[in-house]
Amino acid sequence: MPEAQSTTEDKRHSLLVVDDSEDVHRLLQARLRQENIDLIAALDGKTALAMADSEKPSLILLDLDMPDMDGFEVLRHLKDNSDTRDIPVIVLSGLHSPADKVVAFDLGAVDYVTKPFDLMELRVRLRSALRMSDLVDMLGKLAHIDGLTGLWNRAHFDDRWAACTSENDRSGRPLCIALFDLDHFKSINDTYGHPAGDGALQGFAKLIKREIRASDIPCRYGGEEFALIMPGTTPEDGAIVCDRIRQELGAMNWPAHPERKITVSIGIAGADADVEVSPEQWLEDTDKALYRAKKGGRDRVVVANLTSGQTLEFAKAA
Amino acid sequence: MLQSDNGPLRSEFSDDPDMTELVIEYVEKMPQRVHSMVTAFETSSREQLIRIVHQLKGSGGGYGFPQLTTVADRLEQRLLSISDQELRSVDPEFRALIELCGRMAA
Repeated sequence: MPEAQSTTEDKRHSLLVVDDSEDVHRLLQARLRQENIDLIAALDGKTALAMADSEKPSLILLDLDMPDMDGFEVLRHLKDNSDTRDIPVIVLSGLHSPADKVVAFDLGAVDYVTKPFDLMELRVRLRSALRMSDLVDMLGKLAHIDGLTGLWNRAHFDDRWAACTSENDRSGRPLCIALFDLDHFKSINDTYGHPAGDGALQGFAKLIKREIRASDIPCRYGGEEFALIMPGTTPEDGAIVCDRIRQELGAMNWPAHPERKITVSIGIAGADADVEVSPEQWLEDTDKALYRAKKGGRDRVVVANLTSGQTLEFAKAA
Repeated sequence: MLQSDNGPLRSEFSDDPDMTELVIEYVEKMPQRVHSMVTAFETSSREQLIRIVHQLKGSGGGYGFPQLTTVADRLEQRLLSISDQELRSVDPEFRALIELCGRMAA
């Protein structure tokens, strides 16, 4: 679920120190005790790369001058790996190497500190780099969030759907997806005004968030259409969740139009194991199920099991 | 600085409670470091010597011994500009560093 609202202040950060001197590790450990930072340390470049990959620190403090693999090479490797590329790196450079700083910045370092470091300067530079990276993280998340409903947006859906189908292909884990379309939404807008329409979209988004598991991915697909990716879920289990959402929505009261209920049509396509279906075809099958739900009288769930080829319909009275 | 040129050299952080223990540990390791440097110098192991000197340069100031950083830096620069066979030519800079290490006190 999107969590872009969390502030940067309360977040605990981890710092990976890469320096070939244990004295420097100890010194930083003592000097940064007051900061809200967990410190991990590597004595050489190879260890540093492994730790950056496994620990995903918030920030790396990297000495340039090290034996075997120097800091430049470490920096190059960090930036070549998509898992570590976005971790900000501050380089520790010697007294005589202004040119080194230029190279380090070109390679993607965000800042430098000259050794031996001044404690106050080091602290403020660390804080500033962490603040900046938190803001960049937040912007990245906001770019994937739908402003009206707070659900993930279409761009995020596209990314995750591609990732989830390829995971299903690889592991054979069940996967299912649901498309929701609010029934007669246009008439709510036309009759009660756009604020009422927006309220319906927000109310439905809130309901979805409440009913799903943490691993599910709820998205606003466009207009009054929503998508819910449910990794690790069979189509039958997905249908149970979706039918509960359908019934709860039908029972909801709307202060902007107490006399008018809102219902939803839902199409689901899912697989119990891996299936030979492209992500695009899978979505099309889901859309077909949704179309059948609409055609069949709305306020219902139609679920297609891509493994068995069976299609079922749920339309119990709310 | 009011310290004499030959007397004990105290850490700038000797009164900092956060640092006391660390500085004591750092100073206690000096004789061993001096020994390693002398061995490297006498066996013409320039690379090995550069490694130790480099670490002293990087850590000295942080432990409250800025002079250590300055003197180690001077020696490192000289060591980087010569061949293994010319190690004797850095004798003055080398002695200055050893002498400084010998005077360090918590």
